[in-house]
Amino acid sequence: MSCLIVQSDKTLLLEVDHDMADACRRAIAPFAELERAPEHIHTYRVTPLGLWNARAAGHDAEQVVDALVEYSRYPVPHALLVDIAETMARYGRLTLSKHPVHGLVLTTTDRPVLEEILRSKKVQPLVGARIDPDTVAVHPSERGQIKQTLLKLGWPAEDLAGYVDGEAHPIELDQNGWALRPYQKQAVEGFWHGGSGVVVLPCGAGKTLVGAGAMAEAKATTLILVTNTVSARQWKHELVKRTSLTEDEIGEYSGTRKEIRPVTIATYQVLTTRRKGVYPHLELFDSRDWGLVVYDEVHLLPAPVFKFTADLQARRRLGLTATLVREDGRESDVFSLIGPKRFDAPWKEIEAQGYIAPADCVEVRVNLTDSERLAYATAEPEEKYRFCATTATKRKVTEALVRKHQGEQTLVIGQYIDQLDELGEHLDAPVIKGETTNAQREKLFGAFREGEISVLVVSKVANFSIDLPEATVAIQVSGTFGSRQEEAQRLGRVLRPKADGHEARFYSVVARDTIDQDFAAHRQRFLAEQGYAYRIVDADELLAES
Amino acid sequence: MGTTTPPRTLAEALRARGDEALAGLLRARPDLLSPVPSDITQLATRAGTRASVVRALEHLDRFALQTAEALAVAPDPAPYATLLGLLTGDGADDGEGRDDAGAAITAALPRALGTLREQALVWGEDERLHLVRTARELLAPSPQHPSPTGLGPTVAEATAGMSPGRIQEILAAAGLPATHDPVSAVASLSGLFTDRSRMGALLDTAPAEALSVLDRLVWGPPYGEVTPHPAPPVQWLRDRGLLLPVSTRTVVLPREAALHLRAGRAHRVPEPVPPALAAAAGRDPQAVDRAAAGQAFTALSTVEELLKLWDNGGPPILRAGGLSVRELKRVAHALDVTEPVAAFWVELAYAAGLVAPDGEADERYCATPAYDDWLDLPAQDRWTRLATAWLAATRTAGLVGGQDAKGRALSALGPELDRSAAPEVRRRVLDLFASLPPGTAPDPQTLLARLRWERPLRASASGSGPSSGDTPSDLRSRIALWTVNESELLGVTGRGALSSQARALLDGGPAQAAARLAPLLPEPLDHVLLQADLTAVAPGPLERPLAETLSVLADIESKGGATVYRFTPGSVRRALDAGLAAADLHAFLATHSRTPVPQPLSYLVDDVARRHGHLRIGAASAYVRCDDEAVLNEILADKRSAALRLRRLAPTVLAAQSEPGALLEGLREMGYAPAAESAEGDVLIARAGARRTPPRRPPVPVPEGPPVPDATLLTAAVRAVRAGDTAARAVHRDSPDAEAPGALPRTSPAETLATVQAAAMTGSAVWIGYVSADGAASQRVIAPVKVEGGFVTGYDHTADEVRTYPLHRITGVAELADDQTG
Repeated sequence: MSCLIVQSDKTLLLEVDHDMADACRRAIAPFAELERAPEHIHTYRVTPLGLWNARAAGHDAEQVVDALVEYSRYPVPHALLVDIAETMARYGRLTLSKHPVHGLVLTTTDRPVLEEILRSKKVQPLVGARIDPDTVAVHPSERGQIKQTLLKLGWPAEDLAGYVDGEAHPIELDQNGWALRPYQKQAVEGFWHGGSGVVVLPCGAGKTLVGAGAMAEAKATTLILVTNTVSARQWKHELVKRTSLTEDEIGEYSGTRKEIRPVTIATYQVLTTRRKGVYPHLELFDSRDWGLVVYDEVHLLPAPVFKFTADLQARRRLGLTATLVREDGRESDVFSLIGPKRFDAPWKEIEAQGYIAPADCVEVRVNLTDSERLAYATAEPEEKYRFCATTATKRKVTEALVRKHQGEQTLVIGQYIDQLDELGEHLDAPVIKGETTNAQREKLFGAFREGEISVLVVSKVANFSIDLPEATVAIQVSGTFGSRQEEAQRLGRVLRPKADGHEARFYSVVARDTIDQDFAAHRQRFLAEQGYAYRIVDADELLAES
Repeated sequence: MGTTTPPRTLAEALRARGDEALAGLLRARPDLLSPVPSDITQLATRAGTRASVVRALEHLDRFALQTAEALAVAPDPAPYATLLGLLTGDGADDGEGRDDAGAAITAALPRALGTLREQALVWGEDERLHLVRTARELLAPSPQHPSPTGLGPTVAEATAGMSPGRIQEILAAAGLPATHDPVSAVASLSGLFTDRSRMGALLDTAPAEALSVLDRLVWGPPYGEVTPHPAPPVQWLRDRGLLLPVSTRTVVLPREAALHLRAGRAHRVPEPVPPALAAAAGRDPQAVDRAAAGQAFTALSTVEELLKLWDNGGPPILRAGGLSVRELKRVAHALDVTEPVAAFWVELAYAAGLVAPDGEADERYCATPAYDDWLDLPAQDRWTRLATAWLAATRTAGLVGGQDAKGRALSALGPELDRSAAPEVRRRVLDLFASLPPGTAPDPQTLLARLRWERPLRASASGSGPSSGDTPSDLRSRIALWTVNESELLGVTGRGALSSQARALLDGGPAQAAARLAPLLPEPLDHVLLQADLTAVAPGPLERPLAETLSVLADIESKGGATVYRFTPGSVRRALDAGLAAADLHAFLATHSRTPVPQPLSYLVDDVARRHGHLRIGAASAYVRCDDEAVLNEILADKRSAALRLRRLAPTVLAAQSEPGALLEGLREMGYAPAAESAEGDVLIARAGARRTPPRRPPVPVPEGPPVPDATLLTAAVRAVRAGDTAARAVHRDSPDAEAPGALPRTSPAETLATVQAAAMTGSAVWIGYVSADGAASQRVIAPVKVEGGFVTGYDHTADEVRTYPLHRITGVAELADDQTG
């Protein structure tokens, strides 16, 4: 009996407790995306993107088929094997490369494919003259566009046109008293070898260091795109600490400051600001001869940035993310414009290596009072979530939870400002929200880090890229409906390794029998699929315990 | 007797055969048997009828057919050597490999001839081989039916209508001595063409262009278009009879000349041996068996899933029969397959008798009782049932989605899907698969080529020639390709090669196949793995009761070798609705899970169970409400209330299953004084016997004859009568020269207008002539009221009502005589 079961919907079920599970995982990971990783059976999915990722990483169809046939417990449907071979054969029939005379060209090894795609209306404006039957010139400015379009047509092109080196700038890692973890090294190597692409690492696994490692390889001016200003400051802080770069070499390009230095950290927001229909900050991309562009949190990359990225295809691009899942389904744009997945390590594996803290996830179900239930029942549909998410009963339970973990660094995370304000008032804790100034935020974060304050109430502004190493308890009281991404980010807040090594706690306070519970179920499912065992506890029991 | 004198007719030849040989003929051509011929002569006659010969020819393989074709262009009777020469050639163009081919033909010819003899298409001894006349007519070249040999008519046939003088000219041009009659002239010319050396000498003198013209015609078609004054090379050929005129614009290359140019061969490519079946891939036979068994298992679960889908009322049947396209799409969607594949599964279930029309007025497809029996069989027997039904079925699912000859869509389970050739082709394809060593997957193209070789006429009859492209259009090839696909779906083949269980089915039978298949099928499991993300994974097929309960308790998320189930509040509720209690569910999960039941799952079950049945719904016809609980206690305790079927819903409410009226009556009888309540809760005041219809009119009396007219009507009638009379007898003041009484008055339009305007002002009546829209002329007496817009409106005394007349239709107007008005 082997450990893998191939399903007809192209999912692969891997029995993790099996002796061969590790070998099997290594064999299928290059081409199958880990979809769910609950405790006994992990689900991988074979998608065209995954297969092309594998091709880009140098695997061929035979290896994929062999892996499936070798590890599969039951005979693999022949049709599935044929389909895999055909899908993989689609990658690389078209190649983008540099021609000494004609510049950027698209070459094919299979003439009918070239004929087919040249007949597409979407491709026609992107290509120039036909050089020979197998080659067609491509406008250099359309390198990204054509990759995107070809992927949509089902004929992904392999980009071998190379990269410009960019303006050289010395950057070294300053590994004094610390070192890149093995998986971080692998990630940097994987990226550098592949040229461009995405590194998938869980929150708290040190993605910033992978970025720094890549910069040290490139040794060139670097543009780093991050989600917000706090995150930008943290990048800067980390880079100064971990590399040979000094404060003066790193510029911040945000709403408040517009510095362009050899290493520039820009926020998505400032790039996507539009004035009179134009993006005034676009010239940032051309302001220097960047040798590397780093995209933090690729899964949040706003649509306009994709458009700019299409024009940056000659520069090396590194995407960093915790998940390739985009709630808008634009995974294919990430693939064609940033690059294929170059490295991926599942959350649990890194946790097992001790680099991130294990977490205990608890859903606390709260019984609403009769009057709250009545009010909920009569609330307008669009108000329902807000109402049940912000009930007084929930607030009381949250306060009880905070009391229960008195003395531990606790984050209370929520969606609704008035609820947070109220909580802050009751808990006598500072509230960080959209209107809090960056200076104030950093000051509060600092105080929290130092242990001067132990409870912090944060709105969703703190969802991304804040670094709070000593948070051991997170309590979420409301969220952006059922967003799985948000759940991952929030969980990430408590996953950083703790100094005393004790387990992190992640509470969700949920109103029973309401839409809040439905959204919670959606998020919980995500946690369970990530391998986090979670429990459901009645608030009454929990309060009785304490 | 037959040994000494050669047979003179087919009948004689048949008569001379042994019983065994006659039986062989009847076996090969069963159509000769119905009805059983009375004697050998009748059998021979019937064997020579066109329909029967066509049928027999269609069943010939390519080489037997080529042999028959060669005989058809040979003289009748032909000796064996001539026939062999026509197939191998006379060795004039010895090329590489020609000898090998010759040897193959020499080896294969006796078999082919044997086939033809057995089928009574050829008779006679080797020295005098006769092709049955009908077959000769069918196969010999003629302008209407070009022969596959590409040969034209003989010199004798081609010169049949030619003038003797012209023939003599040809002889002269060809360098032959003149003869006296056309017959000897033709013989002389034929003699020249069939004489290898003299013909060679003649062609040596031919201009090069002439030879290239011949080259174009030599392998057929032998006909060419010419102008009345052809180019010199054609002229040269025509002069020497190498091209003979068919009509003014067409010439033909005579058969003898063509045969010379072909080195005596009737066919360009004789195909004495069937094309070999190429192997596309060789696989491990065990892997093939496993893959096929895996697919066989999938086939079983697919059919089960299909019928489960139709468990509560299948799809309706179209009026023309069959499934609608939408229903087929629905099936395809549910089974997660393409529509052609869905059609295959549906047809398979139908062919196996697992599904049938239910025969209700609103007819639907439904599982048959045989399906339940089938379900109870072990998996391997279920598979052999399906496979056997499939092998024998004439219904061809591959046709679904296409159109019939009349352009009607062919629907799954519909009529017109039967193709009688299907079982034979299917069987033949599988036999060809079986002819390869185990584990070998044949290349479908060579498979098709082989099938075409075996039945060349059938294949070409409906379209493409012997070497067609990727998508053959003839039915046999299409069936063959469908068979290849369907075998894979059904698990007859695995990864393209025939499985050993299918071999057993073909050679032995269902029992042997089942025995072979059984150990390859996965063992049903009695456990699942439960996970915290609220899924259960069954890492293989489950035992039936377990699978059934689980499919109620959880939704199926993914299928294949394993099944992934997902627990949702909805699915747990479904299980509770099905009568399972929360404790049962916990016990079920604990028993069948190999891993501890995750806390969120137990919580989910409890959480749903907590709310399940919280609200209760039932039907009652009436209720009894009373603020005094004691009274209700009293009623319930009273035996007489049993008939009212009362149930206490709450301390102050009883529900009754009897009508409100009966309830009132019953309670009154028991000595209570109940009052009825309206839907709003008001007390209804009932009055005795106060049933009323909605507002109604009294009936209108029906008198005998017309009603008695009232005074106004009478007056009007009298006036009308009078007026008519007046009009008829009017004496016109203004027209002293009036024509005969009854003629229409005639005045000019201006006069008409003036007169009616005056009459309107004075209120007097005038007499008008009027032509109606349909041209009928009449006279009327009217009292104009107003004249405007080209119309005059007034009281028409003749019709006794107010009417409007267009002025232009009024022919004329006259005032009435004074004494007649008033």
